Amino acid sequence: MTNLDQYRESLKQSGLEMFELCEKQMLKSKEAFLTHDSDLAEEVIHTENRVNALDLKIDRDCERFIALYTPVAGDLRFVLALRKINFDLERVGDHAYGVAKYIIEINTPIDPKLLVNLRFVEMYDSALSMLDDIKAAYINDDTKKARKVYKKDKVLNKININAFKVISEEVKKDPNLIDQYLLLFSIIKKIERIGDLITNIAEEIIFYREAEILKHQKKKKVRKPKE
Amino acid sequence: MNNIRKNRLKDQAFKVWGIACTLLGLILLLIFLGNIFMDGIQRINWSFLMNLPSRSPEKAGIYTALMGSLWVLSLSTIFALPVGIAAAIYLEEYGKKNKLASILEVNISNLAGVPSIIYGLLGLEVFVRIMEMGASVMAGSLTLGLLILPIVIVSTREAIKAVPKSIRDASFAMGASKWQTVYLQVLPASFGGILTGVILAVSRAVGETAPLIVIGALAYVPFAPLTPMDQFSVLPIQIFNWITRPQPGFVENAAAAIIILLFITFVMNGIAVYFRNKWQKKLK
Amino acid sequence: MGKEKNESVIESSLKRKYKLQAKDVNVFYDDFQAIKGISMDIKANSVTAFIGPSGCGKSTFLRLFNRMNDYVDGFRMEGKIFIDDQNINKKKINVEQLRKQVGMVFQKPNPFPKSIFENVAYGLKIQGIKDKTFLQERVESSLKQVALWDEVKDNLNKSALTLSGGQQQRLCIARTLAVEPSVILMDEPTSALDPLSTAKIEELIHELKNKYTIVIVTHNMQQAGRISDYTAFFYIGEIIEFDKTNKIFTNPEKKQTENYITGRFG
Repeated sequence: MTNLDQYRESLKQSGLEMFELCEKQMLKSKEAFLTHDSDLAEEVIHTENRVNALDLKIDRDCERFIALYTPVAGDLRFVLALRKINFDLERVGDHAYGVAKYIIEINTPIDPKLLVNLRFVEMYDSALSMLDDIKAAYINDDTKKARKVYKKDKVLNKININAFKVISEEVKKDPNLIDQYLLLFSIIKKIERIGDLITNIAEEIIFYREAEILKHQKKKKVRKPKE
Repeated sequence: MNNIRKNRLKDQAFKVWGIACTLLGLILLLIFLGNIFMDGIQRINWSFLMNLPSRSPEKAGIYTALMGSLWVLSLSTIFALPVGIAAAIYLEEYGKKNKLASILEVNISNLAGVPSIIYGLLGLEVFVRIMEMGASVMAGSLTLGLLILPIVIVSTREAIKAVPKSIRDASFAMGASKWQTVYLQVLPASFGGILTGVILAVSRAVGETAPLIVIGALAYVPFAPLTPMDQFSVLPIQIFNWITRPQPGFVENAAAAIIILLFITFVMNGIAVYFRNKWQKKLK
Repeated sequence: MGKEKNESVIESSLKRKYKLQAKDVNVFYDDFQAIKGISMDIKANSVTAFIGPSGCGKSTFLRLFNRMNDYVDGFRMEGKIFIDDQNINKKKINVEQLRKQVGMVFQKPNPFPKSIFENVAYGLKIQGIKDKTFLQERVESSLKQVALWDEVKDNLNKSALTLSGGQQQRLCIARTLAVEPSVILMDEPTSALDPLSTAKIEELIHELKNKYTIVIVTHNMQQAGRISDYTAFFYIGEIIEFDKTNKIFTNPEKKQTENYITGRFG
C-alpha cells in the first residue's frame, strides 16, 4: 500500500469511527427517552465532547491530506465527500444530544399512547436503520445501498407530515396533552432532519464513487450505477 | 523554391567532393601498396627473413634489422607506457589546475611536435655519451621512448578527461580514496582511449629512422642483438641503406622489407584495436 | 565514526536528540557567499526536504554533510556541522569513513560502467572486504531493499548500463545501502525519471525512513509534501522557514514561503 493509500485508509477509519459514535448517540438517546433513563441521557451529553473533538480531527486530517498529497480524481472526491459526511454526522450527533437534553429537562415520562399515535418508535427505528444502511454503504463504497435510503426517507417525511394533523386533532380532544405533544413534535422534527442529513450523506457517497452530483435534483430515482 | 534547389545542389556537390577526396587518399594508398607488393612480394621467403645482411642482394636478409626493430619497439614501449600513463594520471587527477599547469599542458603537446632528430641529438649526448650506454639497443629505446612519451601523455589525458565527473563523484561519495577512484573507476573506464594512444605511439616509433641514426644505429650489422647493450639496426634504416645501393636486386629487397614493416604495423594496430573493442563492449 | 561502537548505529542514533546539526554555517566560493548563517537540527529517522528556487544553496548545504564540497575550487566554510554530536570538519575525522556513514544519491543516475553486482559491491570492496559469501549476501539484501532483486537476480553480471533510468537510480540507492550508512543524502533523485519510477522511489524512501535519516533536495513541491516530515525553504543562501511539512503546506509563517509554495514566486 502506498503512503497516500495508507493515509486515505486512516481517514476512512476516522469517518467510520464518527459513524459509530453518532449511531451510538442516537441509540442511547432513543433508549433513554423511551425508558426515561436520565443516567443514560447524561452519558450522551458527555459523549458530545468526543463527537466534537472527532469532528475537528477529521477536518484537520482532511485539510492535511489535500495539502500534502494534492489528491486528484477518486482521491480528491473521496476527501471532499468525507468533509461533508463528517459535517452531516456531527449534526446527527447534535440532534441526538438535543434529545438527551430534553430527557434531563423534563421530569415525567411520556404517555406511551401518544407515542403510538404518532408512530414515534417506528420513525426513530426507521432513522436508525437508515443510518445503519448508509454506514454499510460508506464502508463498502456501495452506491446501491446508498440509494436505498431515499425510499426510507419517504417514510420519515410521511410520519412527519402526519404528526401535524394528528397532534392538531388530539390536542383539540384533550388540551392538557399539549405539553407532551409539543415535546414529541420537536423530537419528530429532529428525526426528520436526521433523515435529511442521511440522504445528504448518500449523495456524497454517490458523488465520490460515480462523480455524479445529485444535489438539488428534484427526482431521486433508483438508478443503475456507472461502471 | 529556387533556394531549396540551390541548397540541394550544394548538398550534392559537397557529397561528391567529399567522396572524391576520400577516394583520392584511398586510391593513392592502394597504388603505393600495389606498387610495393609488385616489387617485393616474390622476394619474401623464409631465407629473406632469417638471413643476415650481405653485399649480394640475393643472400641479404632482414633478420638483424627485424630483431633490432622488435627489441627497440618493445623496450621503448615498456619505458614510455608506465611513465606516460602515470604522468597523465598525476596531471589530470592530482595536479592543481593553475597557470603553471596550463603552461605545462601546452608544452607537453609541443614536445610531440618536436622534430625527431632533436630527440636523436638528445639521446646521443645523454644516453650514449654521458651515461655511457654506447650505441646500444638500450640507448635507442630510451631515445624513442622519450619521443613517444608526449603522445602517450596527451592521449591518456584525453581518455581520462572523457570519463564523466559523475563516476568520480559517485566513487568519492561512497568513501573511496583518490587512488581507489583512479585505479578502480577512472583507469578501467579510460582503458580504450589509453590503448588508442598506445597504438598511435607505437606506430610512430616503428617507423622512426633519424633519431636512431644519430645515436649510432648501424646500417650494416652482421648479428642480431642479444642483450639491450648490444649494437643494433632497425628496419627503416635497413630499407634506407638498401635503397642507396645501385644493384636492382636491392630495390627488390627494400620493397620486400617495406612490406614486412607494413605488416608489423598493421598487425600491431589490429591487435590493439581488437583489445580496445573487446574492452569497450564490456563497458557497454 | 572512526571509533569502535559496541551498540548498533541505530540504537545509538535513537539516543541522541538530533542526528544532523548545523551551527551558524557560512559557505563561500572564493568571494561569492553561497550559504548565509544557517543553523539546523535534523532528527533521526525522519525525512527532511530542502525546497527553494535554483541556485539558492540547497545542494551546497546538502553536500556539507558528506563533505563533497571539499573538491570544489575556492570552497571555504565557517561554522560547524555535527553528525551524531561529532564535528565532521575536525582534522582527525577520516573523510572516507564519514562517507560510509553518510551515503549520497545524485540527480542523474550514475551507476559505474561495471556489472550490477560490481556496482552494489563497490562500497564494500573499497573497504577491503573480499569474502564472496558476505558480498553476495549483502548485494542481495541491498537489491531486495530497493525492490530490484527480482528484476535482476538472474542477470547480476550484466552491465548496469543496460538497466532503465528508474532501475539505475534504484541501483544507485542499493549501492549506497550496501555499506549500511545511517544517513542518506539525496540530491533531486527523481528529477530525471518518469512518473512511475518516481513513484516507486518515493515509496522506497517512505520505507527507508524507518532505518535511515534522509535529507532530500527537491524541486518538486508536491514531492516534498508527499514524502517529507520536515521541510526547509531556502532562498538565496538563507533558510526562510524550517518546520513540519504539514505546517509549511497548510499555514506557513512567512509570506515568502507561502508565495513560493503557491507558485506566486517570480
